[in-house]
Amino acid sequence: MKMPSLALGERLSIWLAAQTFAGLGLVSMVVYLFAAADLDARQTESLQHKRELVEHVLAEAHSDRDLPTLLHKLDDFFLGHRDMVLTLLKPDGSSLYDNASRPGSTSRFKKIAFAYPYWESAGGALSARMALDTAADDQFLHRLAIALMSASMIGALLVSAGSFVLVRLGLRPVRSLVAQTKGLAAQNLHRQLDGSQQPRELQPLVQQFNALLDRLSRAYEQLEGFNADVAHELRTPLATLMTGIEVAMRQPGLPESTLDLLGSNLEELRRMAGIVNDMLFLSHASSGAAARREPVESLAALAQDVSDYHEAAIAEAGLQLRIKGDAAGEVDAPLLKRALSNLLGNATRYAKAGSVIQIDIAAAPQGNASLSVCNEGPAISSDHLPRLFDRFYRADPSRAQASVNHGLGLSIVDAIARMHGGEPFASSADGTTRIGFTLSTGPHNSRSG
Amino acid sequence: MKLLVVEDEAKLADYLRKGLSEAGYTVEVALNGIDGLHLAMEGDHDLVLLDSMLPGIDGLSLLAALRRTKQTPVLMLTARSGVDDRVQGLQSGADDYLIKPFAFSELLARIQVLLRRAAPRSTGEQTTLRIGDLEVDLLRRRASRAGQRLDLTAKEFSLLTLLLRRQGEVVTRTELASQVWDMNFDSETNVVEVAVRRLRTKLDVPFEHHLLHTVRGMGYVLEERPQ
Repeated sequence: MKMPSLALGERLSIWLAAQTFAGLGLVSMVVYLFAAADLDARQTESLQHKRELVEHVLAEAHSDRDLPTLLHKLDDFFLGHRDMVLTLLKPDGSSLYDNASRPGSTSRFKKIAFAYPYWESAGGALSARMALDTAADDQFLHRLAIALMSASMIGALLVSAGSFVLVRLGLRPVRSLVAQTKGLAAQNLHRQLDGSQQPRELQPLVQQFNALLDRLSRAYEQLEGFNADVAHELRTPLATLMTGIEVAMRQPGLPESTLDLLGSNLEELRRMAGIVNDMLFLSHASSGAAARREPVESLAALAQDVSDYHEAAIAEAGLQLRIKGDAAGEVDAPLLKRALSNLLGNATRYAKAGSVIQIDIAAAPQGNASLSVCNEGPAISSDHLPRLFDRFYRADPSRAQASVNHGLGLSIVDAIARMHGGEPFASSADGTTRIGFTLSTGPHNSRSG
Repeated sequence: MKLLVVEDEAKLADYLRKGLSEAGYTVEVALNGIDGLHLAMEGDHDLVLLDSMLPGIDGLSLLAALRRTKQTPVLMLTARSGVDDRVQGLQSGADDYLIKPFAFSELLARIQVLLRRAAPRSTGEQTTLRIGDLEVDLLRRRASRAGQRLDLTAKEFSLLTLLLRRQGEVVTRTELASQVWDMNFDSETNVVEVAVRRLRTKLDVPFEHHLLHTVRGMGYVLEERPQ
């Protein structure tokens, strides 16, 4: 938990590298120690062997007469063994033979000393010191150590890199799961994750997730159904109330104050009816009602119609309106008008006095288009942007004009976009707020849920 | 004019009977589909107001049964707003439909339209409409008050014309949005109010007698009122 940011692949590869390094290091150490011990034994054996030879040569010399021959033999012998040094000392300490000063001899030696018991003219035992130059073997051991060390390191690196790649490959199914999960939204919770390509270890996770999705989807459907039921059940009493009040208001001779009260009640009832209708619309939309598409030649003309509707309100707010771009396609014109009208109403409400509201229509490739309304005004903070399309969401409760705006307008834009196979978007920066939606303008793939 | 109301909500049926009677119609009421069908088949109604969801026989079946023998205009009242219900209602032979909850003034207007359609008046379309000192020339699309030309935008002219054709009747905002701007949805915005307000500043503010009145909670009415 100390390094939560480290990816599984990195963590695993570091651990495997350390383990491999430790393992290979141990093997290398054993190999090194074995080689060193073996070399040491050979050196000892070699010295022993030479000692026997030297003793043999010494044994052949029986008297001082033989001394030159002996020395010559020894020289000959050591000529072939440049790595050996022999010092023979008489019992009185004077040197009988010494080749230590020969060129080529170095300083690292393995030595043995022995006494040769019998030497006639010496009058006692000869003491001999023989040394074996081990520089070559030491060098070999040194090189071996370096080679083993490098091999362990390279091995560890290879294992680390390999495990990194393997983990990435191994996690590919998880990435595909993530991609599938990304495609899930409240509207298509009935979709399930496809676990058929997943390894056995992940199957329980996929199953659990799908079970969870199932429960969520059922809960969502129940909630939607509940919304629809409530809205539907409220309609008849609302109709009764509204009709009753209106009929009563038509009675002649009612005092002005009564008329005012009844009218005010009627206004509130109408607002409730508006909310109920919008909730029902949203329920229908999320339960799969599709757009009724008909060919529309110019979305700009459609936008112009909506602008005419808002003309007075825009003029009264001291604003101007511009429509830019155009697109054609098969769309549900009444629904698009409704969405655009909601966006325009919103823009008018929040636009800076004297500024220009712009409707942008852009045709996108593959039968797509986007419609957006742009106004100058107070920025909407980025925390609020993604939630703007939630039902009854208000970015700024103090600024909410509850009397004209009950907070379903942008949810309806969202629903209409989805009914057209698109989705809403919103951005706000540098004093400019743009809210709009994408849509497919073809009859195909009208609904992706 | 004789109307038949088939509606299972007793209170609503009662209000409708009352309101329609006051508007000058003779009203019969049936509280279920079976009675409704019987009355509709036997009686001689100029129009049937039919709830789509009824006990006994539901609205659509009643309509289908009625249509086999009679062509009485039918105005459906439906609590559903699903597009399919709407289409189904019109295909099964309803002449018009209203979605609950509706404004009574709009119901009245729809009834009048259906009755007028059933019995077209022989008088030709008028080209000049008048109320008080207001005169609207439909051909030249000009409006004037007391001989003074009113400078109206195209939509303001349509708005005035609609109110003038229905003078004395309350016209709802929803109806205005639908008739003048072809916006067939309840809007959250107050654009209709603003448009009417701007029309009023041109039509009424410069003159002594005001013609365009707001009926709180209902809509607008163009009429001469005693000062």
